[in-house]
Amino acid sequence: MAYYFGLLQTIGIHTLLGLSAYILLLTGQLSLAQVGFFAIGAYVSGILTVIFEYHIVPGLFAGALVGGFFAFLVGFPALRIKGLMLVVATIAFSEIVRLFFFNLNWRVMVNGVEVGPDSTQGFREIRFYAANGWDTFDVVLFIWLFVILIMAMLWWLDRVRAGATLRAVGEDELAAQSSGVNIVAVKVAAMTFGGVIAGLAGGLYAHSATYVDHLTFSVLLATFAVAYPILGGLSSVFGTLIAVIFIQGILIEGMRFLGDWRNIFFGLLIIVAMNFRPAGLLDGNVVARILRIVGRGKGSDGERHA
Amino acid sequence: MAIDFIDVVQAIIDGLLFGSTYALIGLGFTLIFGAMHKLNLAYAASAIAGAYVGLAVILMSGLPIVLTFVLGPVAGGVIGFGVYITCFRYMPPTNMLAPLMASIGALFFIDEIIIHATAGSPLAFPAVMDDVFLEIGDYGFRGDLIFVLVTSLIAMLVLLYVLFGTRLGLATRAVSQQVVAAELCGIASHRTNATTFAITGVLGGLAGCMAAAAVGVISPLLTVPITVKGLIVTVIGGLGSIPGAIVAGFAVGGFENLFLLLFGVNQRDIYVFLLLFVFLVFRPNGLFGKAINRD
Repeated sequence: MAYYFGLLQTIGIHTLLGLSAYILLLTGQLSLAQVGFFAIGAYVSGILTVIFEYHIVPGLFAGALVGGFFAFLVGFPALRIKGLMLVVATIAFSEIVRLFFFNLNWRVMVNGVEVGPDSTQGFREIRFYAANGWDTFDVVLFIWLFVILIMAMLWWLDRVRAGATLRAVGEDELAAQSSGVNIVAVKVAAMTFGGVIAGLAGGLYAHSATYVDHLTFSVLLATFAVAYPILGGLSSVFGTLIAVIFIQGILIEGMRFLGDWRNIFFGLLIIVAMNFRPAGLLDGNVVARILRIVGRGKGSDGERHA
Repeated sequence: MAIDFIDVVQAIIDGLLFGSTYALIGLGFTLIFGAMHKLNLAYAASAIAGAYVGLAVILMSGLPIVLTFVLGPVAGGVIGFGVYITCFRYMPPTNMLAPLMASIGALFFIDEIIIHATAGSPLAFPAVMDDVFLEIGDYGFRGDLIFVLVTSLIAMLVLLYVLFGTRLGLATRAVSQQVVAAELCGIASHRTNATTFAITGVLGGLAGCMAAAAVGVISPLLTVPITVKGLIVTVIGGLGSIPGAIVAGFAVGGFENLFLLLFGVNQRDIYVFLLLFVFLVFRPNGLFGKAINRD
């Protein structure tokens, strides 16, 4: 049972990470910086709960806020560049963050034990859950509370004017600008919100893994973060969740019997999926069809493009 | 540690020589971007894979070791063509995300095949002229790096000739300027793009061989750093700019080695990335790039 709870924790954390990229993709920006904010959130909340002995909740919030703050800072230079340049800039940002933590050494004595980030050795002593007697089921509930909260917020966002504004910027920046949308504000807001979600996910990750090091926050994880929403489709917030369950649950855990062939299939599967469903698994037409079956679809929805 | 002026100059010389491989990789990214306005993230992986195939064929057939530097690029060209067919050919032309994601998939796929075939352990790669050491005044030039530089320069000249001196190059440039207009003139855009991918693949295979020869080993761990460095070169040079990629390749090589001397191996790349951010803030279109208004 503990194994499935562990898997549920991973799925929850990766869903948050995917959603942080999802909100940016809505505005048409592909950011590989999410793993940088994830790392910042992980280290900040870990340092707060371990070195300063905070409770996990303020620790997580601080991690999320610092992640959002850095996203806000990255958002401004990112506005000067578009599309593919942003991809490169955000890869560089993630790598800077990773190398910063690779070099970070801050060991202090807390209650007679030396703790803290130890550069290449990683940050090993994040034991809040164990020290406070939370079992794995409590942790699963705690993580999924945040997942449901963030998903509900994004779901609601799609039903109000702000969501339409985000998608307008993503569909056609120039047209959105002509209609009076302040694209600078929209992009920075999306970036910041994405950073907050990624920072939160990072804090949750650090505490359920109890151990973080720079290798975790690689370009590979950054591509996973954008792969979830792209594979799942941008038409619905549930696409990201489905893609995470599919990749983490079925591909990575369910295909363990394939041994190291599994990784080869993973790359191949992305290629095949993108060739047959370039707009993601849950694209606009599928969402419209599901809504019609449920009986809530409007005729005009069927025409919506993914 | 006191750093003399002579150390600094020597570090920059070594870096500039090695930078020619970055220039080749940057050229590949920039050519594909110029042709299709899309990014092929599997490019550096196919470059390394080309070098691997070249090395494997030589080791298994017993042919002279120098032929690695011929077979590697050929294999790179074939892999580049394969990447075009699987990740770009059948994608909707306006969708930027799908081919990008598919090329990331191809990056993983190629990487994992290499890891599977070699059990993840690095292989020794033959160096050419590594017993030569030129000394000019106080400064030394490593023979293997000179070989890398000269070969890369020849490859660049051939590429420039193909692009600006042949009908194929004319077609490539026409497609990159305006696809519809080029098709109206009777140019088969898919075939031209496929050729561009094959040519950049050859270039990449050569760069992969050069990088591996300069480092002395070839390992799947090379792919991600070379991808990132190649992208940085492309952006600093200006997306789509051929002279930009060449100049930026040498510049990044030189600065990288200088940072290595000044800050050590753990912090070197931080400063390379900061250099990129300096460019993004002050010259977002790169050294030679045209202003991109919409992409």
